[in-house]
Amino acid sequence: MDAVEYLDLLLKALLLAGVYSAMAVGMTVIYGVMKIVNLAHAGFLMLGAYFAMELFQRFHIDPILGAVLALPVFFLFGMAVHWLLVRWLPKSDTPTLASLLLMFGFWLVLQNAAYLKWGNEDQSILTPLTLSSVQIGQISIPKVNLVVFAAAVVCMIVLQIVFHRSWFGRSMRALIQNPYAAQIAGVDDERTSRLTFGLGTAFAGFAGALLGMLYSFSPDFGRQFLLRSFVIIVLGGLDSISGVALGAIVLALVETFSIVKLPASYQPAISFALLVVVLVIMPKGLAGLFNRKWKAA
Amino acid sequence: MKRPSGLGGWLKVILPWLLLAALLLLPVASPTDNVIRLLFVTAVWTTTSLGWNLLGGMAGQVSFGFAVFFGLGAYTTALFMHAGHSPYFGFVGGAAIAMLASFLIGLPTFRLRGPYFVIATIGVTEAVRVVMNNLDVTGGASGYRITEDKPFSALEHYYTAIAAAALAVLVSTIIAKSKFGLALRAIKQDEDAAADIGVNPYTSKLWIHAIAAGLTGIAGGIYARRAAFFYPGDVFAFQTGISILLMPVIGGIGTVWGAVLGGVIFGTVEEELVVYFPNLHLLIYGSLLIAIILLEPDGLLGLLRRLFRLLRGKRGDSGSPGADEVLWGSSRVEGREL
Repeated sequence: MDAVEYLDLLLKALLLAGVYSAMAVGMTVIYGVMKIVNLAHAGFLMLGAYFAMELFQRFHIDPILGAVLALPVFFLFGMAVHWLLVRWLPKSDTPTLASLLLMFGFWLVLQNAAYLKWGNEDQSILTPLTLSSVQIGQISIPKVNLVVFAAAVVCMIVLQIVFHRSWFGRSMRALIQNPYAAQIAGVDDERTSRLTFGLGTAFAGFAGALLGMLYSFSPDFGRQFLLRSFVIIVLGGLDSISGVALGAIVLALVETFSIVKLPASYQPAISFALLVVVLVIMPKGLAGLFNRKWKAA
Repeated sequence: MKRPSGLGGWLKVILPWLLLAALLLLPVASPTDNVIRLLFVTAVWTTTSLGWNLLGGMAGQVSFGFAVFFGLGAYTTALFMHAGHSPYFGFVGGAAIAMLASFLIGLPTFRLRGPYFVIATIGVTEAVRVVMNNLDVTGGASGYRITEDKPFSALEHYYTAIAAAALAVLVSTIIAKSKFGLALRAIKQDEDAAADIGVNPYTSKLWIHAIAAGLTGIAGGIYARRAAFFYPGDVFAFQTGISILLMPVIGGIGTVWGAVLGGVIFGTVEEELVVYFPNLHLLIYGSLLIAIILLEPDGLLGLLRRLFRLLRGKRGDSGSPGADEVLWGSSRVEGREL
């Protein structure tokens, strides 16, 4: 293997990391604020892909625009789900049995609804972008990967701004840091939770639409990305947004470069192996590792 | 163990034995093959349900990955039989391998608080299935076939399954009444408080995980021997893990008889009902989960308990704690924290 091939893989890994971070960030905010492991995230990803497909096939709306349109639609959907189901769960500092099983049950319902509506065949979104590619020297990159990467990065930046510059973002950060102190200081827990769940769902729908442009999908689509999302979150230290970007890069690098040594069929096992390694070596995630270093210094 | 008191107390001791006797004597009444098959399936599912309930119900650790132990039990039994050993030896081997696997999952993940264990269990099924799909010894994705020299005996399979279910009930009851069971429930309610009074949450979780895995491994072996053919996409399916989790939740999480009830209902529904609505089974199970969590977290057992009180026309207690205990067992869901 020569330098060009390494560079090629490196570039592919970085592009993958973009969409991975958009995929995991929705799960992070929900976990951070509500301490709910949102297993229905997989279902939202899947619905996002079908959403973009329907818009593209019926109204010939470009899937990138479809992904952006998914943001408000899934935001409302997520708020409705919170209002209907999630808010009845007992509040807790750690994930509860009830929250896990509830979100899991909802995922099963979403999956079955998709089977009824779209059947179990693999679908894909094919646009002129899908088949054309950009040539840089000896490396060729599909245009669709570039566009998806750009969309994901823009969205992450917008989220980062919302998180740090708005009242809503500050409420979220307060709830993540200390839910009791936040409520004493006047943060409306119920309202912030509802908005957060909407935000997390919006990002899941958005990322699902982007993933649908890259891979073929079926109603079972989200499952392979559920564990990946969680590995990224664990790498990033569970509730930090910048940690997510870092975790996404690490996972994307490991997955991409493992192809050199391992047969591609073993790919799904890689994220699990990475999770175990991370848990054993650095239980607080990469961010925790850095924090410790800074504290020691 | 305290002596049973009154009619209710004695009933509580006698009823399980009556049930066992009825199941053992059933073949005398020459039931149809389908009834025997149905009871076999139900007994296998009940064993796994009781296994899951030990970890999920008593210790409060949710696992989506019990399909791994089920599948490992199936494959180990098959490999032992292929090597010319008795299938019963194979079941023990299956349990041992499943226990070993449970340590591999538990050692890194139980060290940490929080959702790590749960998430790892979602991934582990995926990872193991991928490996098994590519493993040459077991025929990879195309599956494995068990050949036995002697003629097929539905009754032998039936009795093995009943024995496994009875063993699971026995183990669960002993643990529920022991100091170990008390420690597990303490961990479920408040891990810090449990650690303060001298319970080691880490080792307790590891051991109950291993026991639960062992029971599930035996069930997997028994299932595989009757099915005679299986493949990774079947025994290691994520769906299998879901089924194993659903049963105790439906029946009444945390109680021995709730897990049994869940296993029986699931076995019957899966075999008789889902056949007619194959397109809707995820919807049915999903809505059932949501309904149970939001409306009656104690499952069907909790619902029955409520009905029972309503029938007696009293609010709150039925007035006879003895009678309550007979019907519903003593270990209700306590703290529902993970």
